[in-house]
Amino acid sequence: MNGLSRRSMAALIAGLVVSLAGLVLMLASPFAGSVVSENLWLVEPLAVAGAAGIAAGLATAVAVLTLGQRSRAAAESTKMRQQWSQLTQHYFDVFGHDMGRPIRRILGKEREVRARLAEAQKKVEPAIQELLDEIEQQAPSFRLMVSNIQVLVQLEDQAARAQVAPVAPSQIVRNVVDRYVGIGRDRGVNISWWSEPAEFGLEYSDAAALDHIVTNLVDNAIRFATSQVEVRLTRNPSHFFVRVWDDGRGIPEHYLAHIFDRGWTPEVAGRQERTSSGLGLYIARTLALRSRGELTVESVATAGPGHHTAFTLTLPRANPGDGIGNR
Amino acid sequence: MTTGRRDRILIVDDEAGSDIMNSVRRKLDGEGFETVVVQPQSKFAAGHDFESEALIAIETVRPSAVLLDVRFGDHPDDQFKGLGILRKIVEKSADLPVLMFTQYSRGPHRDAAVAGSLRFSSSVDFIDKLASPDEVVLRLRRLIGKTPVLIQIGEQFLIDGEAGIAYAVEGDRRDPIRSIQGMKFSILLELASAWYRSPGELVPFWKLERFSEGEDSRASLRVRVREIKDALGEASGRKFGPDDLIVNVRNRGYVLVVPR
Repeated sequence: MNGLSRRSMAALIAGLVVSLAGLVLMLASPFAGSVVSENLWLVEPLAVAGAAGIAAGLATAVAVLTLGQRSRAAAESTKMRQQWSQLTQHYFDVFGHDMGRPIRRILGKEREVRARLAEAQKKVEPAIQELLDEIEQQAPSFRLMVSNIQVLVQLEDQAARAQVAPVAPSQIVRNVVDRYVGIGRDRGVNISWWSEPAEFGLEYSDAAALDHIVTNLVDNAIRFATSQVEVRLTRNPSHFFVRVWDDGRGIPEHYLAHIFDRGWTPEVAGRQERTSSGLGLYIARTLALRSRGELTVESVATAGPGHHTAFTLTLPRANPGDGIGNR
Repeated sequence: MTTGRRDRILIVDDEAGSDIMNSVRRKLDGEGFETVVVQPQSKFAAGHDFESEALIAIETVRPSAVLLDVRFGDHPDDQFKGLGILRKIVEKSADLPVLMFTQYSRGPHRDAAVAGSLRFSSSVDFIDKLASPDEVVLRLRRLIGKTPVLIQIGEQFLIDGEAGIAYAVEGDRRDPIRSIQGMKFSILLELASAWYRSPGELVPFWKLERFSEGEDSRASLRVRVREIKDALGEASGRKFGPDDLIVNVRNRGYVLVVPR
């Protein structure tokens, strides 16, 4: 009986009491009941009621014990999963930190080389400049990759929910644009952002998820843009929207159905070397859905002018009481 | 970037001498900040040495902001020491902006620190250690929250908001661009200030139209922007096209783009 809840224990005791009462009725029936036949006293109504009581009581007791065992096993399993999930997340948190060490060293050396070249005021060969730029430009991709792995681990935890708290979406968009504006400049792509209204204020949302989704969308846009990426933050009474637009060549219609698939990249279809993991848009959409929102895409892939791609993230302006801090 | 008065940035990091930190310090110096590094006396300083030195330095150096690491070595007590230091800074000087410079820019420890910092209504932000020095400077600027008197745009132009003069810069030489005055200067200053806070931020038309006259203020604004671009181009010996310097973004507003 160990581990049974109070309610289950009460049901078990009630079942046993009913069985006992049934047994008493059966035993008392030859003396207290109305005799139908000397040899067939068992069909006497009181005896039948007693038998039914025994059966119902025992069935209740068995059901309580079986269900109790199952729920104990389920609780144990959930607890183990949570512990495993926390352990795994902690592991990947530390992993994310430690993975940064070698890349920090590489980046540090690259910047040191740049500084010395600038100090010497020597003309740098284009190939060397290109190499240094490539190292610098790969840093945000590396950051995003490590971060994607961490988020992927969190998403494996079925019990995990969005961490809803007051956040400033414009601040998040601004921070993401800051991260990519220099890379855009090096690639000949201008990134601009704005919000409507200009003073956007706070919304109840999952800040980490919002940052991660917008980062993936901007990272994606900047890789495919021709010269412009625009990020627009708007809202209506029930939702707020982040639209990331690029003037790239667009996504052919037959690819659109696959772009949110885990591991899919345009290179997969073209059998070329992959330039990304194909996780970004999958993770972005999964996070959007987990936050009770959605992520949609609209693209025009024409040979002439007008080609573009726009991803729109829609998130609810959640009730402050909804799930704050739950996990 | 030149600021009117040099803001001091206190750096609290056990790897302050690393190449990556050197690149950040170089950038901060170049942008007109003064960097002060917390250096405990002991060669084998642990987290608590950095903590006490940092708290003393806040009193003596009076920084405008603190750039603070999270992890101070591999000892379990020091893995998140920076968050403890942050708490003490916030308790002591709630108004002092702190930029957490860490590889732990995600995860539960960050969330706990953010929640803690929100309680104290302080200016705390987190940035990844792999961030570019430009990004670090931008975040610090916004945390400090001041727009300087002098804003340098790329290597070619300098805007003096107080004197109301735009300069073309070449090496140590500054030539005033006399044709940018009055409303044209106000438009340029508005764009430059937005760019200084956030380089990709669009300035909507309604914010700029107050500096233009006539029945059709949008058309008038367009003309003024064209004149500003021509004047800046003439002063720097360049020709700025529609996608250069001041860009009209899909009839929403203008954004300033640093010339390459």
